[in-house]
Amino acid sequence: MKDIKIEVKDLCLYYGEKKALKEISLEIPRNKVTALIGPSGCGKSTFLRCINRMNDLIPDVKITGQMLVEGVDIYDKNVDVVNIRKKIGMVFQKSNPFPKSIYENVAYGPKINGIKDKTQLDEIVETSLRQAAIWEEVKDRLGDSAMGLSGGQQQRLCIARTLAVSPDIILMDEPASALDPISTSKIEELVQELKEQYTIIIVTHNMQQAARTSDYTAFFYLGELIEIGKTNGIFTKPEQKQTEDYITGRFG
Amino acid sequence: MISHFEIELEKLKNVIIKIGSLAESQVGESVKALLSEPIEGKEVKKTEDKIDKLDVKIDEICQSILALQQPVASDLRFIMAAMQISNEIERIGDLAISNINRSKHIKDKHDLIAKFEIGNLSKQAEEITKKSNECFLTRDEGTIGEIFILNNFIKKASDAAIEGIILEMKSHSKTVVSGTNLVIVIKHLERISEHCANIAEYVHFMINAKIIKHEKF
Repeated sequence: MKDIKIEVKDLCLYYGEKKALKEISLEIPRNKVTALIGPSGCGKSTFLRCINRMNDLIPDVKITGQMLVEGVDIYDKNVDVVNIRKKIGMVFQKSNPFPKSIYENVAYGPKINGIKDKTQLDEIVETSLRQAAIWEEVKDRLGDSAMGLSGGQQQRLCIARTLAVSPDIILMDEPASALDPISTSKIEELVQELKEQYTIIIVTHNMQQAARTSDYTAFFYLGELIEIGKTNGIFTKPEQKQTEDYITGRFG
Repeated sequence: MISHFEIELEKLKNVIIKIGSLAESQVGESVKALLSEPIEGKEVKKTEDKIDKLDVKIDEICQSILALQQPVASDLRFIMAAMQISNEIERIGDLAISNINRSKHIKDKHDLIAKFEIGNLSKQAEEITKKSNECFLTRDEGTIGEIFILNNFIKKASDAAIEGIILEMKSHSKTVVSGTNLVIVIKHLERISEHCANIAEYVHFMINAKIIKHEKF
């Protein structure tokens, strides 16, 4: 039996009158990579942002249904949204380091969480940078500005920053779409390493990336979840014709 | 609008149909050579060269599609099947040629052919080759089933004919040379039939995403 980390039940999201997510029900297994694919506007990023309540910030958004993380509905009014975001980290399409030093970028979260001890912070920074596979490239210039790093390095720094606050879940919204093939493959390798410890959900437009990096793939179309299954099955024999048409490039 | 990718897939399909029909005609010629008259070697050689060229062409098209288009799902299965099928077809062509050449050296073959019903067996081998091309084209599961049945029939009929010829050779030593050649020809017909069954299995995989090779039918 699958070990479930996130269970979604009948989740709907409305932007004003517009229903952007329609009765989404699915299970996301622990310590696996789940890829969300689908054409632009299908709701996959909106769904990703529901997992750490990022859509709360958008006016006129209404959400119904349940998003159970470890059995707790994160939309329950007694749940503290800050605590959720501590446990559920996010990496965005465009790397967004703070205009601070490399060290400060990673130490920022732990500091806010109350860690003041320099040795402990040093340790967290090193571990996080190592986990994000960038330590060797930056260890001698931790005091340099993060803005001087390449795009691929900045993205791995952002992943290190996410890891520094010890999340359980990492959400990635097209984390490699702006990177060159070498940086992309580093990020993809990293995703494989990280799944040992984290549950990862990744939105990607790159079919091959979904195929290479994920264990499970969910296909969204027009706000609906059309199909979810093992990635191997989705890319060799999808159950639904719409999925087949999309992954083989015969859509619309 | 038809995409460049779909044009490539269509091209591949057409080349397979072409190589399939050439192999089918080679099998037809080999049956003619066995049952009635000797076949002109020049034409046969020409067809063999064409088959070889198309076999290479199919590999090249598949390689290019895999490298440039990264096909998945039904497209990937089609490419995988195409590569295997062309290989099977090329082998069918080779076996047919071998039979054409060998038939020239079988003296007094008509008595043995009539006695052990090899005429019928050859016709069935011709038929199964035709059906294997047909099933690729039509993707008809009924035809796939017919191929498996026919293959079983050919296997049994070949075994029976070979057993009979061996007995004949034991009792009439002057039939040994012709009998031995005929046994090889029959073995080749059986292998042609086996290649056709393999093609049917790949077509089944292409349609249903289920690998059925090595299963008993």
